[in-house]
Amino acid sequence: MATEYALRMGDGKRVFLTKEKIIEEIEAGTADAADLGEISTLSGDEIDKLAEILMMPGKAVSVEQGMEVPVTHDIGTLRIDGDQGNSGVGIPSSRLVGCMMHERAFGADTMELGHIDYSFKPVKPVIANECQAMEVCQQNMIIPLFYGAMPNMGLYYTPDGPFENPGDLMKAFKIQEARESMEHAAEHMTRDMVWIMQRLFASGTDGVNFDTTAAAGDGDFYGTLHAVEALRTQFPDMYIEVGMAGELVLGMHGELEYDGVGLAGLWPHQQAPLVAKAGANVFGPVVNTNTSKTSAWNLARAVTFIKAAVEVSTLPCHVDMGMGVGGIPMLETPPIDAVTRASKAMVEIAGVDGI
Amino acid sequence: MASKEELIQELSDAIISCKKDAVLAAVEKAKEVMEPAEIIEKGLAAGMNEVGVLFERGKLFLPHVMMAADAMGAGVAVLEADLPEGSESKKLGVIVNGTVEGDVHDIGKSIVSTMLQSAGFEVHDIGRDVPLRNFIEKAKEVKANMIGLSALMTTTLPGQKEIIALLKEEGMRENVKVMVGGAPATQAWAEKIGADCYAENASEAVAKAKELLL
Repeated sequence: MATEYALRMGDGKRVFLTKEKIIEEIEAGTADAADLGEISTLSGDEIDKLAEILMMPGKAVSVEQGMEVPVTHDIGTLRIDGDQGNSGVGIPSSRLVGCMMHERAFGADTMELGHIDYSFKPVKPVIANECQAMEVCQQNMIIPLFYGAMPNMGLYYTPDGPFENPGDLMKAFKIQEARESMEHAAEHMTRDMVWIMQRLFASGTDGVNFDTTAAAGDGDFYGTLHAVEALRTQFPDMYIEVGMAGELVLGMHGELEYDGVGLAGLWPHQQAPLVAKAGANVFGPVVNTNTSKTSAWNLARAVTFIKAAVEVSTLPCHVDMGMGVGGIPMLETPPIDAVTRASKAMVEIAGVDGI
Repeated sequence: MASKEELIQELSDAIISCKKDAVLAAVEKAKEVMEPAEIIEKGLAAGMNEVGVLFERGKLFLPHVMMAADAMGAGVAVLEADLPEGSESKKLGVIVNGTVEGDVHDIGKSIVSTMLQSAGFEVHDIGRDVPLRNFIEKAKEVKANMIGLSALMTTTLPGQKEIIALLKEEGMRENVKVMVGGAPATQAWAEKIGADCYAENASEAVAKAKELLL
């Protein structure tokens, strides 16, 4: 009987596959990415390397010596004390303590301060609190500390915001009205994000992390790129990271452009040049995990997409790795075997600059 | 005169073009040689399936999906008068679809509703942040064969489980299938809570609804 290796499904379930089956899954995953993104599949050597990583006997694996990359953590300030039934561990601690634990105990190379709502819009009424928290953190920490939040354009639509919900308008086939609503929302979102970061920059933040960009589709991406452009003009030295929400910019509007490029339907390697053009310093590409496929299929697909993004990007690419992205299963606390294998593959095959 | 295959292709292409005028013209042309039910199934619905595939591949966008659905609706309306008596109301099944309480995410669920409707199901989209009990009441009211439950957050996912429990309490579970979806939902979650199926995306939702209801 052929040796079987313990892998996972995209939903975290254990599966046992032979080497031949793993190779088959890798070939199918890379072919799927190549087909969708119109990019190259992984080479034969890369497929063998990926299979080797997946079949390594250790529970946790690591990158080869000399290939270490910077690791940052987004909302980690809140994950220590957060206990909302999500990924928080419920240990009472302030955000300062959360940041410092990441710096001094968990080995984060950079870190961010975030608000519990984790979207820019709700930060407006508590800006003084956020500025104070940033100042206190900066006084106590050494590693670069950014301010991070989601653009989250959905908050500008009813029932949470002033503009009519494009989803409702679309359902009534009011396409033009829906598009106008998205354009207005994007404009307000840009204005808010710039206003918030002007104040946090004055309070000493080392930079900004636009996290989960384009979650509300192409309008969200459009508003964020314009915010990046405005901030870069005002603050030439500000460190700006743009991390994406998913692998594909969903076309909610369908006709928005940046720098002459239609934003809807862009894959990671097509997003990267626009993020650079807007003036960001780092790009955070994302590839979604399909929960019905194996980790071999998902990781091959993710590595193929990210490798193509790294190749064309003029910016360092810090790939998003976590629950349901980057070839990692969709689990609250992703299993270490899957996380470390996916991370190793991203560094050693896709060539990412950070995680 | 165009062959049946050419007419079917023309109907499908017209839907993919998302232009109502083109769809209506293609329907008028096809009516001369094809039965209304065949025009809907082989031409319009097939075109709509392709629209779903193109949306998932990032080649068509949400406004296009909505315009195609609108055009398909117009085409079906023209044909309904010519359908044999009693068949105009024939639907593949009745589905109540919504996003569970506490969760305001709407877009994915709405796309699923549109695609199910275009595939021939009678869909009652009851919106987002829907109180759990409302799913039961609506299912009773419209005599639903299936309930679709969307949740985009780990914190609202348990609502899907609670609705299945409510269906059991009401003695409705055997007659109503349950489909779950949304980013944190998985096949394993569907099995754990006793849902009938999990769908990864809109086209899979249509395929699985057909599997369960036809």
